[in-house]
Amino acid sequence: MTDQFAYPADREKSSADRVAALEHLLIEKGVITAATVEKVLSYFESEMTPLNGKKIVVKAWTDPDFAARVVDDTPAALAELDLPEGMAGAEGEHLQAVANVPGVHNVVICTLCSCFPWPVLGLPPYWYKDPVFRARAAREPRTVLAEVGVALPEDTEIKVWDSSGHSRWFVIPERPSGTEDLTDAELMDLVTTESMIGVALAGQPA
Amino acid sequence: MKLQHNLGGLEGLPQPLTLEKRVFVEEWEKRIFGIHVAMMGLSNHLGSALPEYPIAEVPTAFRDEWTWADLRTGAEAMNPFDYFKFRYYEKWLGGITQFFIDKGYVSEDELAAAVGAAAPSPDGAGDAIDDQVIDYLRRGDSPRRDVAHPRFAVGQKVRITDVPAGAHTRLPGYLRARTGTVQRIFEGDYGYFVETGDGIGDPMPIYIVEFTPHELWGVRAEPGANTLYAELFEAYLQPVEENQ
Repeated sequence: MTDQFAYPADREKSSADRVAALEHLLIEKGVITAATVEKVLSYFESEMTPLNGKKIVVKAWTDPDFAARVVDDTPAALAELDLPEGMAGAEGEHLQAVANVPGVHNVVICTLCSCFPWPVLGLPPYWYKDPVFRARAAREPRTVLAEVGVALPEDTEIKVWDSSGHSRWFVIPERPSGTEDLTDAELMDLVTTESMIGVALAGQPA
Repeated sequence: MKLQHNLGGLEGLPQPLTLEKRVFVEEWEKRIFGIHVAMMGLSNHLGSALPEYPIAEVPTAFRDEWTWADLRTGAEAMNPFDYFKFRYYEKWLGGITQFFIDKGYVSEDELAAAVGAAAPSPDGAGDAIDDQVIDYLRRGDSPRRDVAHPRFAVGQKVRITDVPAGAHTRLPGYLRARTGTVQRIFEGDYGYFVETGDGIGDPMPIYIVEFTPHELWGVRAEPGANTLYAELFEAYLQPVEENQ
């Protein structure tokens, strides 16, 4: 057992070398081009970012009819907004929003892998993919939420959504109180990736 | 039984949880992510996907199928100690590299020889490859094939199957043999990338099934008003009556 969890001293360098060698060979052999990886990364850095989710949430906060529609038929509601082309693209083919309301708090998990609504939130942060989070949030969501700073009233129902099918889920967090006078841009600053998965409240420091 | 199929609810794990909010913690991780997405966007199955991509006309040397099912099958095949030991993208790097070796695209010797080689500069050649990858990202690969033909109704009690899991499953282990209530039927029938051997693959309805913590965890359930909803293919559901 002693060396079961021993890592090589050059752990990161050997991975970096190996992936660079692999990419080099794939380019040389015509599988991908010298620009493919950069173009993929750029797609996620420039277009499919949490900004899309923030826009969706703020629209829901400021338009009660939209708030109802986005839960009812998420793809149709998103199509109303000025979002990048591709919201129904990879990992957005079947988006599904759930809304937090007083007394109900939603959390999205994926116990089998890391299903995540790419077009809405970009790529998943490491915590979402962490086996410890995935294991614990299924059984003890209230404890996990308290550990990360979300202390919910005892009578608040926690709904945990395990993404084992075709849908990619995200959460419309509750609008914080005292934000009536904020502009849309100011409201967007209150929304984080974590709040759109349910492990933070909107308005909590990121 | 595989740990990876039974992660949900595993006890004795470290507390408290801290949230690593970065998507990539090392620069090299971005490269393997990009390679994986390129493989998905160039996968030969996309020729018969929805939408149908002109994949046979794309000037790539990649001629295999690569989907989430392949990546997941690899992760589920790992030694469970390694599954916990290695970070997310370390697992991807191992699985994807092995795929390219197994399929004869690259060899270990070539990989060793390519370490430190200067990165080729983009020259615009093969732009159609990149265009296909980005087109895949924008248009996706929906598993929906038809309207729903559901066997179960909203409100119906169902027992989750407990058939042996193969190399890959979409049935979380903690739900096996548990009883829940159908909360929603999705509008379509949905296929899965591969036949997993435990019932999914061909298009079928998908349900949201609601479970109480007590049903899932018994006396070890966390106190409080919690509900767990799982999204499950119809093959994983059985009517309760059949089991009584």
